[in-house]
Amino acid sequence: MTARDAFLSSEFRATDAHLNWLEDEAISILREVFGAFERPAILCSCGKDSLVVLHLAMKAAAPGKLPVPIVHIDTGHNFPEVIAFREALVARHGLKLIVGHLDDSIRRGTIRLAHPLESRNRHQTVTLLETIEANRFDAVVGGARRDEEKARAKERVFSHRDSFGQWQPRAQRPELWNLYNTQLAPNENFRVFPISNWTELDVWNYIARENIALPSIYYTHRREVVERNGLLVPVTDITPPKEDETVVSRDVRFRTVGDISCTCPVPSTAANAHDIVLETITATNSERGATRMDDRANDAAMERRKKEGYF
Amino acid sequence: MTGLLATADDLPPSPALRAPSPTRGEEIFGHAFLSTNMTTSSRPLRFISCGSVDDGKSTLIGRLLFDSKSLMIDQIDTLSRARGAQTRAGELDLSLVTDGLEAEREQGITIDVAYRYFATPKRKFIIADAPGHEQYTRNMVTGASKSDVAVILIDVTKLDFSGDAVQLLPQTKRHSAIAGLLGIKHIVVAVNKMDAIDFDRAKFERVVAAFALIASSLQLAEFTAVPISALKGDGVVAHTTNTAWFEGSSLLETLEAIELDASSEGTSNAVGDNTSATHIAVQYVTRDAEDDHRRWIMGDVADASIQVGDSIRVFPSGAQALVTAINTPRGPASVAQVGEAVAIGLDRQVDVARGDWIIAERRSENANEVSGANRITATLAWLDNAPLTTGRRLLARHGTRWLPARVSKVTRRLDLQSAHWIDETESAGGTDVNANDIVEATIEFASALPITAYTTSAARGAIVLVDPGTHATAAAAMVR
Repeated sequence: MTARDAFLSSEFRATDAHLNWLEDEAISILREVFGAFERPAILCSCGKDSLVVLHLAMKAAAPGKLPVPIVHIDTGHNFPEVIAFREALVARHGLKLIVGHLDDSIRRGTIRLAHPLESRNRHQTVTLLETIEANRFDAVVGGARRDEEKARAKERVFSHRDSFGQWQPRAQRPELWNLYNTQLAPNENFRVFPISNWTELDVWNYIARENIALPSIYYTHRREVVERNGLLVPVTDITPPKEDETVVSRDVRFRTVGDISCTCPVPSTAANAHDIVLETITATNSERGATRMDDRANDAAMERRKKEGYF
Repeated sequence: MTGLLATADDLPPSPALRAPSPTRGEEIFGHAFLSTNMTTSSRPLRFISCGSVDDGKSTLIGRLLFDSKSLMIDQIDTLSRARGAQTRAGELDLSLVTDGLEAEREQGITIDVAYRYFATPKRKFIIADAPGHEQYTRNMVTGASKSDVAVILIDVTKLDFSGDAVQLLPQTKRHSAIAGLLGIKHIVVAVNKMDAIDFDRAKFERVVAAFALIASSLQLAEFTAVPISALKGDGVVAHTTNTAWFEGSSLLETLEAIELDASSEGTSNAVGDNTSATHIAVQYVTRDAEDDHRRWIMGDVADASIQVGDSIRVFPSGAQALVTAINTPRGPASVAQVGEAVAIGLDRQVDVARGDWIIAERRSENANEVSGANRITATLAWLDNAPLTTGRRLLARHGTRWLPARVSKVTRRLDLQSAHWIDETESAGGTDVNANDIVEATIEFASALPITAYTTSAARGAIVLVDPGTHATAAAAMVR
């Protein structure tokens, strides 16, 4: 029996009780959002974590309709597959979609780029805060997980943000039992993370079990890339190869979906969620370390961005 | 990448990792993950680790994550690059794994509760890692409120073995007292730094005897003690020749083997405790997408299972109805267990909203429990930096309901040094209740609640008090 066969015949795919427990917890958190807030929204980048949250939110509302809009912060540097997926998703489920365009913030002058092809990931925060303010959202649900990153490991499920959208790690409200302190002053809001307790493996197991559709770039495809600093960098209009770099064609998939300018694929022939579960349990690098240029910059990069209002 | 792997290989090998394989993946398939029957048939076990940095708590957690291969190469690489990383003779400082915030890494302390995840073939674990410095009580109460197990770390190098009886440190009493107050049913005592006392069996047994006295005086549930060295790895994943005299399981095996009872098992197949009535705090009420006249009432099942055909009563209105449909996240069901997030349909229109309770009165002997109370005695862990002002109006959250409340009287105070309750005398009546104090107090609510003792039902016996001005979470209250 090969390792793969052994895995597939095993119960390691975390069926039943484990995923059910995570699912119940997440749905309960989402119902708190539906019930306790006036103007909640779900942030959806069409990345796998936000699509899991959206799936859970539809379950939390069922047999009723999803009572909240979804919000996409569009950096303008998108993978076309992701935007096509978003439009199909909205049409299929009759969702209300609100798009915050980073280009609008640039036009307003609230974002200034150092140079035109600069990574837009960091600038998303400005557009996010503007979108929250314009729509007067009092709770914005996101797909962040505590296993992703050190600063996230300390964040609450209901993460309080002041009127500037800032996270104050040293002044977090203690979070006891499931009795969430949802009290807000005017102009403050919460970021809510229903899948805080899920790991990357849990997410893929759940996607496999629930058969959740994802943008095609999550699965293996041929793509032109260059090797840079140990990462595979996709070759696009926004991320052209440097002069001395060789463009090669590889079987790759993306482990996260973000701004084109800072999201890198990994070599993979995984064609479906089950294949990815298998790859994940044998992976040697964490999700962000393998694929996000921005987080590699500094061990405290996420902490600093969150203090500024990032998710 | 070989450089990074070399960093990992510099670690002192733990007993379970005597023959490291060339790559992590092969290692997993080679022996660690396929050598035992893979079952994840239960929900994750949540445990809180109690101890200070000096006790080796962070090292222990780093050890559990490292030995269970929950750390990735780049995370290990980050550790070796981290500022302040002090490596001894090429050893990786495992304690740095758990220091999340930049400010913490620079100061070498932990500020806030952090959550960690690791899995073995037998079980998945969620660790609430509560720091042991200032604000300790606040952080431990927070972490313990969501934990099934408390792992209490004892540093043997800090104990005096010269006298007849070993005195454990005040912090051990404090950790044990808080674990007891929060109703944690499983206590594991990890007797750490055994390598520093030559794995002395007699000393270990004297520590266990000393803990037994504390457990008895605090009326704690049974406990399991394990001799370990978090730094060297002995007793954490497996016992070594150093601890061969110890007949029990390793720390990890002990955690893997803990059985959760039905009422806390969440969505297990276990049947709920059918001796008490079902309670659902209503979170949200929605209309059916297909039928505008049909409404669904949503919340988590507490205390006992609920099934189609149950007669229910709404608290506080008293309206009655029959359950005609149950929707769980897994689909329609005839019965839902404790811990499941359900939507229920009723046979008639009743007035029900967020903040109400649905109480299934299948068991008639409990009908009188529904009358409610608006004045209770509770154990109060004060969390806010501003001290408690007796009589001041606060906001209370019970279930899904917010209502005005006040702490009208403080009757006793827990002395965390001795783990004894001391009466608040009239003369000492002016003593402030400050952050991290634990007291017994009378709380009055603006209206009656279907409240019960915390030991009977955490869902109905737990209350959070919030400052109405700052919205700070002011206290955790457990009904006595």
